[in-house]
Amino acid sequence: MKKRLLCLTTLFLLLGSLAGCQKKEIRPGDVEGFDQGEAYLSIWVHSIEDTEEGQAYKESVESFNEAYDGQYFADIEFIPRNDSGGGYSDKINASVMAGGLPDVLTVDGPNVAAYAANGIIQPLAELTKEEQSVYLPSILEQGTYDDRLYALGVMESSVGMYYNKALIEEAGIQIPEPGNPWTWTEFLEILEELKPFMEERNGYPLDMTFPVGEASIYYYAPFVWSNGGDLVSGDGLTVEGYFNAPENVAAMEYFRTIVERGYMSQAPIDKLFESGRAAFKFDGAWEVNTIYNSYPDIDLGVAPYVVGDNWKGERYTPTGSWAFAASSGTKNIEGATELVKWMSGVESGIRIWEMSKTFPSTYEAFANIEVFQTDENYKALYDQLSSYGHPRPKTPVYPQVSTSFQEVLESAALGGKDAQAEMDKSVERINAKLERYTRK
Amino acid sequence: MRKKNSIMGMAFFGPALVLLTLFLFLPMLLTLGFSFTDYFALNPELTHFKGLENYVNIFKDELFVRSFFNTVKFVLIIVPLQCGGALLLAMAINHAAHCKKYFKVAFFVPVVMSLAVVSTLWMQIYSPEGILNTLLGNLGISAQPFIHSASQALPSIAIMSVWQGVGYQMIIFLGGLQNISPALYEAAEMDHASSWKKFKDITLPELKPLCVFVFITVTIGAFRMLVQPMVMTGGGPDHSTYTIVYDIYETGTVNWEMGLASTMAIVFTIFVVVLTIIQNLLTKEKEGNHADKKAKAH
Repeated sequence: MKKRLLCLTTLFLLLGSLAGCQKKEIRPGDVEGFDQGEAYLSIWVHSIEDTEEGQAYKESVESFNEAYDGQYFADIEFIPRNDSGGGYSDKINASVMAGGLPDVLTVDGPNVAAYAANGIIQPLAELTKEEQSVYLPSILEQGTYDDRLYALGVMESSVGMYYNKALIEEAGIQIPEPGNPWTWTEFLEILEELKPFMEERNGYPLDMTFPVGEASIYYYAPFVWSNGGDLVSGDGLTVEGYFNAPENVAAMEYFRTIVERGYMSQAPIDKLFESGRAAFKFDGAWEVNTIYNSYPDIDLGVAPYVVGDNWKGERYTPTGSWAFAASSGTKNIEGATELVKWMSGVESGIRIWEMSKTFPSTYEAFANIEVFQTDENYKALYDQLSSYGHPRPKTPVYPQVSTSFQEVLESAALGGKDAQAEMDKSVERINAKLERYTRK
Repeated sequence: MRKKNSIMGMAFFGPALVLLTLFLFLPMLLTLGFSFTDYFALNPELTHFKGLENYVNIFKDELFVRSFFNTVKFVLIIVPLQCGGALLLAMAINHAAHCKKYFKVAFFVPVVMSLAVVSTLWMQIYSPEGILNTLLGNLGISAQPFIHSASQALPSIAIMSVWQGVGYQMIIFLGGLQNISPALYEAAEMDHASSWKKFKDITLPELKPLCVFVFITVTIGAFRMLVQPMVMTGGGPDHSTYTIVYDIYETGTVNWEMGLASTMAIVFTIFVVVLTIIQNLLTKEKEGNHADKKAKAH
């Protein structure tokens, strides 16, 4: 009897101590700077406090608290994530189940749809036309789901089609003007011309890979969009006839041609472009900073992103990054919206550029950063982003769409399997995930 | 006295029991429960009971079946190579006249290294212009794609895993070898037994219990293959290195399908448990025979 009693007591003691871990109401004075009369706003960010990015968020929150002294108090918590998003998203998932979501949280652009569709985040309080016009269209587009604005990001991103100026000049190739990009056919001709030239230099015309992860859809979905294709329907709930449409099959076959004719290496070679052994490379905007700092010998240029043969000037280039959104748990949507606006605003944008060299998301921030006026490569990337930026597919099953896109690149473009058949298979797999949203 | 003992015992045992219950047994039971539902991490409120539907569906899922066979392939390559390799290395070191310590440490170092580090290292070794291809080039063999080709990726990763893990089993075997009484070998030498005979009739039977242990731990370890393909190939090319555990991870955390992932985990567990029982039965029987033989010889 006594034994059982002891056992139970221990159990309750331990359970009690665990229950003590639960979030408790925070009162003025509990946190430094939180004063009487202020509304408390918690905010979670997906980075580590010691990084430049983390410091930028921290400073933005501090300046918010200064600006809204007496009205709001924002309290920032850093939750590290690994490369595939684990850690941070695990914490969100756990809080969805157990409660305790913060007022404001960060969400990766392509996940806005899933979070919105599942009621993890709620629409922001109404923003005036003027307030909205501050942001690049791609940021508003990324944060909108079902015609309502859920998220605003402080960061934007872009991918450049970089070229090695010295090589291109020596080969006698003329880079087209912005707004008048090479079409697929023209680009193939250029690659054909460059092939013997680059072979002499033990290299390839193109430094291109189809890596596992988010990069593949981010870099290469523009080939689909500029060819008149789309990956999902407008409401994000249909893929049949979109993902496996003839335009997209054509894009995959185009990549196959590039692989087959040996314009790129089948197996990725490290630093091909950086060592001057490739004429072109697709990479994120961060590459400019890398080349400037670590490979000063490379004379870098940014060419307009290649388009499909029937392109009529539509938006098509890569965009998107993490954004701030108000969680469904917040009772103070006005305050949360103010915080989201502040965190993604001009001042925060300039700070994120200065500290972590990530593109900001507002026109004014770009106008206030000198390098976007003076450096031709940064200017080209910004112009491409503001004139042609296209968000990634907006669908609650985005992770599966992204994975499938990369898988088709791998099996059809690299492996030589039938693109149509592979894409039909992907549609089946995506449909299985969509069922949850379509059955209702 | 007895009562006092049991209270003391409880005091030591209680906390461990509570922690184990909370963080091991309870999650296991929850997983079993979730495996019959469509529990979705982003929206737990909409969970429905689905009965055995998940269990039927995963076997219809081409990718799960593929990952299952990939895992089996990994096991088939890794288990014989790692068990045999460990035994060979242990015997070589046991016989070595010089630098025993050096070799022991050298073979053991990869075991203490983080799997992610080892994987990154081998990505360089396997890269198209890496050390291995340069070596092959000097031998007049054309460059191999290794982890970048659907046919070579799986064996490449398996071989790397063997290299990484073999040191651990080698140390176990080494301990076993040093415990074999030299008298047995001396007796065999007097009978002019060949070294093969000595190995077959003395070394192997004496190491039998260790062999069973090594065999089972290596098998289970190989089934749990995840980090290497995750770091090196992301499960590709064309899913050729996609393993069950990888599939469970992707389904549960990337696509938020916790219910489905739980089903996969349960099926995987059942499979490994059944396999271990079979292995145990098979090896036990042989051990029994061995004991019989010994008894007869006496």
